[in-house]
Amino acid sequence: MKRQDQMLEGLGQEIRDHVELETQDNIVRGMSPAAARRAALLKFGNPTLVAEDTRGVWRRLWLDELAQDLRFGLRMLFKTPGFTLVAVLTLALGIGANTAIFSLLNAVMLQSIPVRDPRQLVVLLWSAHGEPQNSNSNSYGDCQRSERSRSFTSSCSFTYPMFQEIRNGVDRFSAVSAFAGPAQLNLAGNGTATMVSGELVSGDYFQTLGVPVVLGRTLEAADEKPGAEAVTVLSYAYWQGAFGGGSGVIGKSITLNGVPFTIVGVADPRFTRLTPGKSQDLWLPLSQISGLRIPWGHPQSNDSWWLTVVARLAPGASLPQAQLAVSTLFRNQVIHDALLKPADDPQVALLPAERGLVGMRGDVKQPLFVLMAAVGILLLISCANVAGLMLSRASTRQKEMAVRLALGAGRGRITRQLLTESAMLSVAGAAIGILIADWGANALAAFVAANRYSSLYLNANPDFTVLAFTVGVALLTGIVFGLAPALRGTSVNVAPMLKENAASAAAVVSGKSQKFGLGNVLVVAQVTLSVIVLVGAGLVVHSLANLKAVDPGFDTHNILQFGVDPTLTGYYKENQIPPLYRELQSRLNGLPGVVSVSYSSDTLLDGSLWTSEVKIEGRADKAMVETQMLAVGPDFFATMRIPAMTGRLLDQADVESGHEVAVVNKAFVKKFLENRDPLGLHLGGEDPKDPQYEIIGVVGDTKYSDLRLAVEPTAFKPLKKGGVHFAVRTASDPLSVLPAARRVVADLDNNLPLFDVRRQTDRIERLLFNERLIARLAGLFGLLALVLACLGLYGLLAYEVAQRTREIGIRTALGAQKRDVLRLVGTQGLALVVSGIAFGVVAALLITRFLGSLLYEVRPTDPVTLFAVCILFLLVGALACWIPARRAALVDPMSALRCE
Amino acid sequence: MSTKETQKRIELLQGTLDLLILRTLLLGPAHGHAIAKAIEFRSDDVLQVEQGSLYPALHRLIKRGCISVEEGTSENNRRAKFYKLTARGRRQLAAETSKWEKVARAIGRILRLAEQEGES
Repeated sequence: MKRQDQMLEGLGQEIRDHVELETQDNIVRGMSPAAARRAALLKFGNPTLVAEDTRGVWRRLWLDELAQDLRFGLRMLFKTPGFTLVAVLTLALGIGANTAIFSLLNAVMLQSIPVRDPRQLVVLLWSAHGEPQNSNSNSYGDCQRSERSRSFTSSCSFTYPMFQEIRNGVDRFSAVSAFAGPAQLNLAGNGTATMVSGELVSGDYFQTLGVPVVLGRTLEAADEKPGAEAVTVLSYAYWQGAFGGGSGVIGKSITLNGVPFTIVGVADPRFTRLTPGKSQDLWLPLSQISGLRIPWGHPQSNDSWWLTVVARLAPGASLPQAQLAVSTLFRNQVIHDALLKPADDPQVALLPAERGLVGMRGDVKQPLFVLMAAVGILLLISCANVAGLMLSRASTRQKEMAVRLALGAGRGRITRQLLTESAMLSVAGAAIGILIADWGANALAAFVAANRYSSLYLNANPDFTVLAFTVGVALLTGIVFGLAPALRGTSVNVAPMLKENAASAAAVVSGKSQKFGLGNVLVVAQVTLSVIVLVGAGLVVHSLANLKAVDPGFDTHNILQFGVDPTLTGYYKENQIPPLYRELQSRLNGLPGVVSVSYSSDTLLDGSLWTSEVKIEGRADKAMVETQMLAVGPDFFATMRIPAMTGRLLDQADVESGHEVAVVNKAFVKKFLENRDPLGLHLGGEDPKDPQYEIIGVVGDTKYSDLRLAVEPTAFKPLKKGGVHFAVRTASDPLSVLPAARRVVADLDNNLPLFDVRRQTDRIERLLFNERLIARLAGLFGLLALVLACLGLYGLLAYEVAQRTREIGIRTALGAQKRDVLRLVGTQGLALVVSGIAFGVVAALLITRFLGSLLYEVRPTDPVTLFAVCILFLLVGALACWIPARRAALVDPMSALRCE
Repeated sequence: MSTKETQKRIELLQGTLDLLILRTLLLGPAHGHAIAKAIEFRSDDVLQVEQGSLYPALHRLIKRGCISVEEGTSENNRRAKFYKLTARGRRQLAAETSKWEKVARAIGRILRLAEQEGES
């Protein structure tokens, strides 16, 4: 550009000099000065054109025209600030909502694993037509849900010996690592004892993933050797939070479940997860598991399937080659160890880690896609809305277009100009939209994280994918809503447009082609789309209300629950634990504001479920049956307010005595004992040596793990070992007793951290997370859609009334009553609303069945919801019609006729 | 002038003007008007350039690197831009000239043949 300016500088002067010299020559040849100049100019040609052509040599044409379009567009947009503001905000809303949901979708579903070269990483999944002998298997939500039945098993869990075989025996892998957990660990030695989640990993874990440290060193292969010093690496977030990011942390000793560990490193901040939705505070070598008394993994055992295995393909090795190698090795090994038979056809599949490590994707996939669909529709509505605005503006600009066409502008050029304007609107909308999205995505991520069962770090900050998405959406939006008005704007018949004045000419146009024109179509489309979103939102809100109205069988209000697990401190003997609980129970009971206290192995309505196969005495059918189980402390039923039916309840003596007793619920009696008197009967394991529990009482039915599931048979037995959740029933807000409760626990044992501190109502909220997320957001989007659609309707009618002022004036002058004018405008508006609703209801009936599993006791075609949405729309739509209709009715015929 | 005006003037082919400019500048740097004059004079005024079309052509050549510009003083003592052949321009001229001659010879041969046939 600089060279161009330099070259073109003084061009005008040069041309003038040229003509001057030629004139001089002509004078010398004997012409009069005037004739000489004329001849010179004749010979030269048109100087302006020459200068323009010369500039044209240098100009990159399209860039120049683009700049011109942008300048002109900017001027037009600033000329109508009201229009611009409404259009930009509407688009910002649409684009912002889309970007926010997409950011979350991206964080959960699309973002690549933050490790080196994630595409080379695979996760191992084995399958067989049968279960390994004597196996006990543990998994931690990394892989797709494992299947276990007699005929088919598929799982990502491997034994330690098998992992060793694969690590040493498959040369198609350059590295193989395993991990398990995270385990809940009692961390002491850094202030008050706390619960942390620690993942057990093989020593080469960090090397395999290619994750560096910011401080100290990673775990190394030697750390996994038996007898190695116990070391741990902290996650960056935990180091920041618990150690203030101080570098003195390296070499510091902490105690995990009573075992001293040395901190040797802090992992890179980018390494927040391997599996989506799982994050941990620290990593430890998996050989440490036995010292930590974690029950679910045994390094030497062939029966304990507890390790998830990831591997990195060797350079040049293909996935099928590696799969064949590892599959052969696995098959030989399990058959050699007689764990499976050749007929079981054991084999291993390699899944790319990005796809294979599912994590939370499974849970949130459906709500995220439902929300994405909702915001997609919202964006379409925004587009239709702005297109409507553009269309009415295009009509008022038809004279301008006609003038420009008459002056020789190409239709293509004008179309491009109009598209540039709409693209500018959508880009401005996207810029504001990104701000909305940033706020929205972080609020959403926080909402999701607050409702997870384990700690979660979601990176919802816009990254390149999100930005590309937003820019793509913005440009597409600009073209979608800009194209129709642009084409309409240029298809102007020049001559009549220039003859008529603008308003009446536009009226001619609108009268002729807009009766069933684009404007009406756009409004109907908006109403249709809004009805779909509103019906969907209505169904989920309705389901949520149904779920909240479910009677769980106990009083969920004013209960605070928290977990304590003295078994993790490492210094309690098994027989010391029940007295500890008893002491804690009586001290908590003494606190002011506390009504009653008890404890249980799990909390109800918190997603967890314990089931057991039992044999029940007195049943005609001798087969084992599956029942839900819960171990509880004294006063549990009183504290939860579960009503007693017959017999007696569990008390302190039952906890201490060797005589095993149990209480069952009504469903148990009904399903297993055909409503016979259960008192005195026994239930227990198949082996007569297993404990047999005497049924001493019956209590009312309660929901156990989930509100949606029907009440199932449940047996309650006295809690004699393991960690517990205390339940504290209070007179008023349960959180008010929390500080005192913490002091009570600390007074008894300073190294006993409280974890999972929540009210029962919070637990239920968390259980209903998907429904709440969708009800809340889809409800919001539905209302936005309603408002946008009605604004679109209002805009169209208001514009038409303005255009038809003269016609209405004439009608009024000829004797039309206000009523007639109201009807004239109102009928059109309501016709649009009604047809939109009709289309919307039909579309909703087709679409809502995809909500399927989100609904509860509401059919996807629920007439109540459909009816309510229709009425709501009619009311708001009528309001949107009423305002312009009234304005039309108030037109003063004299001034309307005179203003021409 | 009047005698000359009766002569038929030939409009220049696109691209030929570039060649003529390069040829003119082979004699030394010149400003725009001088180039126009030189072309007219050396073709005995047969080739008539609409002088204005010289300028886009000059800038095309600058852009292609065949000529460069320097400031100088014209005969009437005004500051003027002088256009000057570059090395690349020289090569371009040689190539274009030989191409032109080849084409001219070929066309000439064809025309002569046609003439002889017409005579016989």
